[in-house]
Amino acid sequence: MEGLFFNVNSGFLEGIVRGYKSGTLTQSHYASLTQCETLEDFKTQLSATDYGNFLANEPSPLSTATIADKATQILVDQFNFLRSNSVEPLSKFLDYITYGYMIDNVVLLITGTLHERDTHELLERCHPLGIFDTMPALCVATNVEELYQSVLVETPLAPYFRDCLSAADLDDMNIEIIRNTVYKAYLEDFYNYASTIGSTTAEVMHSILAFEADRRTINITINSFDTELTKEQRAKLFPAIGRLFPAGNNVLAKADDIDQVRQVCENVGEYRSFFDNSASAQSNGDLGDFGVAAQLEDRFFRMEVHLNKLAFLQQFQYGVFYSYVKLKEQEIRNITWIAECIAQDARDRIHDFIPIF
Amino acid sequence: MGDDYPTLFRSEQMSLRQFLIPTEVAHDAVAELGELGNVQFKDLNPAVNPFQRSFVGEIRRTEEMARRVRFFESQIQKEKDVVPIRPLYDSSPLVTVGPSAAHNIDELDVTLAEHETRLVQMNDSYKTLSERTRELVEARHVLRETAVFFDKAETQQTDIRTSFDDSSAPLLQHDDREQQYSSAVQFDLEFVAGTIDRTRISTFERVLWRVLRGNLYMNHTDITEPFVDPATGTETRKNVFIIFAHGDALLAKIRKVAESMGATLYPIDANADKRSDSLREVTARLEDLETVLYNTGLNRRSELLRIGENLARWQDVVRKEKAIYETMNLFNYDVRRKTLVAEGWVPIRDLPMIQMALRHATEESGTSVVPIVQELRTNKTPPTFTRTNKFTEGFQTIMDAYGIATYQEVNPGLFAIVTFPFLFAVMFGDIGHGLIIFFAALYMISQEKKWARQELDEILGQFFYGRYIILLMGLFSVYTGLMYNDIFSKSLHIWHSGWDFPEPGSNGASYAVSNGHMYPFGVDPAWHGADNGLVFTNSYKMKMSIVLGVIHMTFALCLQLPNHIKFKRPLDIYANFIPQMIFLQSIFGYLVVCILYKWSIDWSTRDTEPPSLLNMLIAMILSPGKVDATSQLYRGQGFIQVVLLLLAMVCVPWMLCMKPYFQWKERQLIEGQGYVGLGHRNGGPRESTDEVLEGEEEGNGRAIVEEMEEEHEQHDFSEVVIHQIIHTIEFCLGCISHTASYLRLWALIRTIGRVARRGRARARAR
Repeated sequence: MEGLFFNVNSGFLEGIVRGYKSGTLTQSHYASLTQCETLEDFKTQLSATDYGNFLANEPSPLSTATIADKATQILVDQFNFLRSNSVEPLSKFLDYITYGYMIDNVVLLITGTLHERDTHELLERCHPLGIFDTMPALCVATNVEELYQSVLVETPLAPYFRDCLSAADLDDMNIEIIRNTVYKAYLEDFYNYASTIGSTTAEVMHSILAFEADRRTINITINSFDTELTKEQRAKLFPAIGRLFPAGNNVLAKADDIDQVRQVCENVGEYRSFFDNSASAQSNGDLGDFGVAAQLEDRFFRMEVHLNKLAFLQQFQYGVFYSYVKLKEQEIRNITWIAECIAQDARDRIHDFIPIF
Repeated sequence: MGDDYPTLFRSEQMSLRQFLIPTEVAHDAVAELGELGNVQFKDLNPAVNPFQRSFVGEIRRTEEMARRVRFFESQIQKEKDVVPIRPLYDSSPLVTVGPSAAHNIDELDVTLAEHETRLVQMNDSYKTLSERTRELVEARHVLRETAVFFDKAETQQTDIRTSFDDSSAPLLQHDDREQQYSSAVQFDLEFVAGTIDRTRISTFERVLWRVLRGNLYMNHTDITEPFVDPATGTETRKNVFIIFAHGDALLAKIRKVAESMGATLYPIDANADKRSDSLREVTARLEDLETVLYNTGLNRRSELLRIGENLARWQDVVRKEKAIYETMNLFNYDVRRKTLVAEGWVPIRDLPMIQMALRHATEESGTSVVPIVQELRTNKTPPTFTRTNKFTEGFQTIMDAYGIATYQEVNPGLFAIVTFPFLFAVMFGDIGHGLIIFFAALYMISQEKKWARQELDEILGQFFYGRYIILLMGLFSVYTGLMYNDIFSKSLHIWHSGWDFPEPGSNGASYAVSNGHMYPFGVDPAWHGADNGLVFTNSYKMKMSIVLGVIHMTFALCLQLPNHIKFKRPLDIYANFIPQMIFLQSIFGYLVVCILYKWSIDWSTRDTEPPSLLNMLIAMILSPGKVDATSQLYRGQGFIQVVLLLLAMVCVPWMLCMKPYFQWKERQLIEGQGYVGLGHRNGGPRESTDEVLEGEEEGNGRAIVEEMEEEHEQHDFSEVVIHQIIHTIEFCLGCISHTASYLRLWALIRTIGRVARRGRARARAR
């Protein structure tokens, strides 16, 4: 039934987003990008792709930051086009996508203010998808209560923050806790929202969001080893969704070292590969927890890309919009990585990006 | 085919040539060939990345130049007063060939860079200056508005005081202020004043209210004139705000919020005298700044004017240079890297011109090594090149929009010169309207030289491009208008009408009586205004449309015949052309014959009713063999129709099967003789070897390899069958749908006529 009327309101935008998606860089594009000698070559090479001459008006010594900025700008423009052409419930869905960025921005601003960075510099570093008007006022707040009362109360993030009002002072640890509590609330809310807009969307989004939740759970667990964070506090930060929930989460809440995390992941088929090589890596060289985490992060990204790619196999659902934004983000990360490798002449690591198609 | 004269009938004869151009002449030679524009170069290194090609450096340099030129252009466009750009045909061309080419380009590069830095500098100083001016203007506004506010407060002071006498908190605050006013002692009244973007004012207010929990008094007013950003030209509107609050902490918070929201704060003194002092100071500084700003603006403008003079030719040169190097990237170096090897398709007729151009290029560059042009033998299909002139160009473009004929095939563009305007005229058919568009086209042609150099807007440009089409359409419309006897939807009485109208009878109607002679040309004007006039012209024009349509289709069908004869494909004649022709003629050709026959009979003397031909055609297919005796057109009609229908039916399988069958048989024959296609049995491994070959071989080798692949595809039997099925279905359905489409001619005649008549009726009513 969804398929019957889907195209009335969202068919155009789905077509647009699928068109955008077919413009993502392919394996062969990456192959030729990695062969570039200088950033000028890089620019020439990119101009042959869907990015077109987005760098044509940049004066000659290019920086990787410019490339990343301009590429992000393209994504933002595309997203804004989608957003302004959408109607309910798609527009709401697209808004949900921005909430994630909004949370990141809020946390960035709070942390920045805490460390007494320049406000304008901070504002520039915010992700353009997560900007809202009252955002600049965040930097006057000194505790969570004030933060909530003065700024966040009128943003869509307000309900997410309600849970963490108890946290007293703003310090690095608390901010991290706030971020994770808020993100947990956001993921759960998004998960529930996805269930209300049709079964196909729910199916696609649930698999992506479940992975996202698991990823956070695992990350929180690994990062909280040897910190002041108590196990009860840790358990509170875990999203109540995902494939590890509830049994895996319970074990993770009590975990003390990375092996326990690995055992939990063994229970889920798709996650089994996360720790595959890390065992051998650990045995032949003492990479330590940090090395495993770095490798894990890479695997997570791969998994995310894989899930987002799967979203495009289903028609008549909104998951494609989410997936497109995420894939494009990954692509921008890839481009920036390659550009950075070229700029710093680190050719041996140039292939460490995550190919999408 | 010793054609001496370029013809539109078939595309030009082409030949694949190899150019061996010494490296030092290459640039000039390509420039010359580019001006000629009749060589189509092949990419000789398709496997090479764009940035690994030989002339990337040069391209990058021209791209940088192009960026600068674009920057100038955008600057000029942003300028509010129009900066004239001297058109290209007016400016002297920049020499980029010959011995001084490199020097000239270097010079251009330097000039562009100089202009850029100068312009950027000026922009910067202009920007900082206007920024400062803006700040001062804002400060002045803030000063004025606060002054207004304080004045108001002062007059109201006493009232406020009495009304708040018994309440404590506001009174305290008020007392502070009051003290400040009354006493000459300096006291820091707690307020913050500044300007902020108007769109943000509500958010600002809301945030402040929440941050300070309502402990503030805020006042804001609009600044009427907008602030224009000099760099982008966007307008922003701002508001002046003044906020009173109590306590240093709160004020600090306000300042912080204001700053983070992008507001500008101005230190305003609470003392009225000091305020007026600073206002005076600000005004004075503003005046100074404005003179400086004006001068800077003037300087910048004169710089832009200078750029505007040369901009067009810079653009031209930069574009040409880029195109030249991009072309040269298609070339290959020979072994010793002394010469560039190029391959390209060339019209045989233009070879002498190309030789001349190459020689000219060599002479210009002052070397004695002449580029060598030699023929490459290939059996690849050359590209289609149809030479057009300004008259035929429009028609050819219309045809190309439908599809481009294969090399040396008959070009329908030639016939479109007549058929296109004619079919238009059949619809349009009006002397008056025809003359209007004829003269419009004539005017455009007379302005040709002038307009061709101008940049016309989209709509006018389109009309101008099709001016010769419009000319012919007008001309043909005059002719068909004469036939229809229509001038502005009225009739012309040139000769005596063949009908007389006697005095009207008792009911006011009069019946025309034939007076024996016939109207010599076109429709008798007596029909115009007759009650059955519409019935007559409708039936007449509808049938005429069908007749014209079938003739048109038959003619178009015949166009394939010369192709089959020229390319020696007798099978196509027997398997395609003949059954198609029979199919078309036995149904629609027959309809045309019937129409003509029906016209030729005086039905008033016959005892049968005139049959409806449409019903006849439908009955012919739906109930073959049966013809209603009352609506019989001629004797033996049923039998003839059955025969025709059977003929048409036979043609379908004929078209469908004959060609694939013969091709299959031919291949059987070849295989029977012991020849086996290499790639036929084991396509997989063969293809992989092809790729390897492609990687190893270069130039000619590749051409042959590709050729073999194409050939291989053609022999795929299933492809032939599918192609033939599509072709057959397309033809049969096409016949029907095209005939229906030609009825649209008639529909449009009616519409156009009616619109004209209605318009006139309305004018009369007024």
